[in-house]
Formats: sequence, C-alpha cells, structure tokens
Amino acid sequence: MSEILSLVEASALAQYLKTARWGYAAVNGLHVFGIAMLVGSILPLNLRLLGLWPSVDHKALAKVLVPVAAAGLALAILTGLCLISVRASEYAALTVVIVKLSLVAIGTIAAITFHVRTGFLLDGAAPGQRRLHAILSLTCWLGALTCGRLIAFMM
Amino acid sequence: MKSIFSFSALAMILALFSAIPANAHHGWAWTTGENIELTGVITGTNLGNPHGEITIKVAETEWTAEVGQPWRNERAGLKKGDLAEGVEVTLIGEPSADSSEKLMKVERLKIGDKNYVLYPDRD
Repeated sequence: MSEILSLVEASALAQYLKTARWGYAAVNGLHVFGIAMLVGSILPLNLRLLGLWPSVDHKALAKVLVPVAAAGLALAILTGLCLISVRASEYAALTVVIVKLSLVAIGTIAAITFHVRTGFLLDGAAPGQRRLHAILSLTCWLGALTCGRLIAFMM
Repeated sequence: MKSIFSFSALAMILALFSAIPANAHHGWAWTTGENIELTGVITGTNLGNPHGEITIKVAETEWTAEVGQPWRNERAGLKKGDLAEGVEVTLIGEPSADSSEKLMKVERLKIGDKNYVLYPDRD
C-alpha cells in the first residue's frame, strides 16, 4: 500500500500540483464547486424524500437535481483524487480521510443501487424505502463534507 | 422520527471530532502576536502544497516551523535545496499561543548572512 502511495506522489500530476500556485488553487476551487453542486442538490432532494414540501412533485425535483448531484460528485471525485495525490501517504494516515472516503464510497454505491432498482426518477420506490435512502444519503454526504473540512484542521 | 435519527447520526459524526486542534496553517489567530527568533539545524522538511513545514533542532528541543507555500518561498528568494536537512537557519516569526506546542510560523529567515522575507508586510 505504501509503495502505491509513493508512486502516486511521484507521478507527474502530483509533482506539478505540489508546486503550482494557481494550478493547485484551481483544482482546490473546482473541488469545492463539485461539493457545492452535490450537497446543494442532494439536501433539497433528500428533504423532499423525507416528506418536506409534499406539494412539490418529487419526480420533477429528481429530474433537475439528480444530474446536478451526479455531475458534482464526478467533479469532486476527480479533483479530490488530484488533491490527495500531492501528499497521498500523509492523507492516507489520517482517520478523517479514511472515514470520508468510506462515506463517499457508501454514498455512491447506495445512490447507484437505489436509482438502478427504483428508476432514475425514483418512481418505483415505496415511501418508506425513499425515507430510508434519504437518511443514508444525508448521513453520507454531510458526513463526508464534515470530514473533508476537518482534514485542514488535522494536518 | 427518522429525521430525528438522521440528525442525531450527523451530530455523532461531529461529536467524534469535537476535540479539534487549532488550524495551524491559516492566518495568525493561533500565534502569540510577538516575534521570537530561533537558530538551529534543520532536521526535516515537508515542503510543497498545501503547506510547507520544517523541523529544526534548537539546543535539545525540536521545533516545527510553518514556512510558506512554494510560491511564497520562491518569492522570498529561496531556491530548491536551500531549506534542507543539515542546514543551519535562523527563524523569525510567531510561536503558537499554546506554549506546550513547539510550533511557530515563520515571517522571515536567515541562512548564513542571507535574509529571506516570507511576509514582507509583517514586522
């Protein structure tokens, strides 16, 4: 494992980002933008699935928010891997990083499974199932956001 | 009921990390506000984004010193290899307000008779 992490740190991308001023800032900013897209759309969607705003059609909401959340997640993962590459072994040794990556993995797998099973607009899901997924989703993404922010306070 | 559960789950995650140490990298809120000067030999370096750090041995005490990101060190005139193990440096900057931490943030430093100013706007 430590050899893989060292290889990642030695990669051309990691070496570039380690010293680049604006390149690093750009990747950092895009990571925040990805998180904003993801959490900004997952929060209202999950609150709707939990029963808030009953007059709003959840399918219409899902049609808008699911693609935005997915694009945000993709951007956050891509830029996140770039940021981790700069100091891969240091980050891997931090508990918050491990917890964060686990939450991201669980959240991603849960979202894909839920959409595959119940359809893109979640119309095949029973209300109880929706609520359960909403709780899991909120726990994963808000937890990942919290852990992510905490990395800066742990290093 | 379930939303109560979800919020308590989040509260638990937050509680897990309630003992958050000060964020030593950003700003000067965590330092004393008074400069100190330390001279010692560099025992380790960890430079590069997002934050640069060196350790120096002053008498028998090992100090950790926050230096700049690569652009700040470069702007100060530091070249690759200037901050390296075995080099004697004099660091001027502010120590952590928690004196049990042997931690400081460098404003300027001297190697030999050369001065390198990381924060030109600070005293």
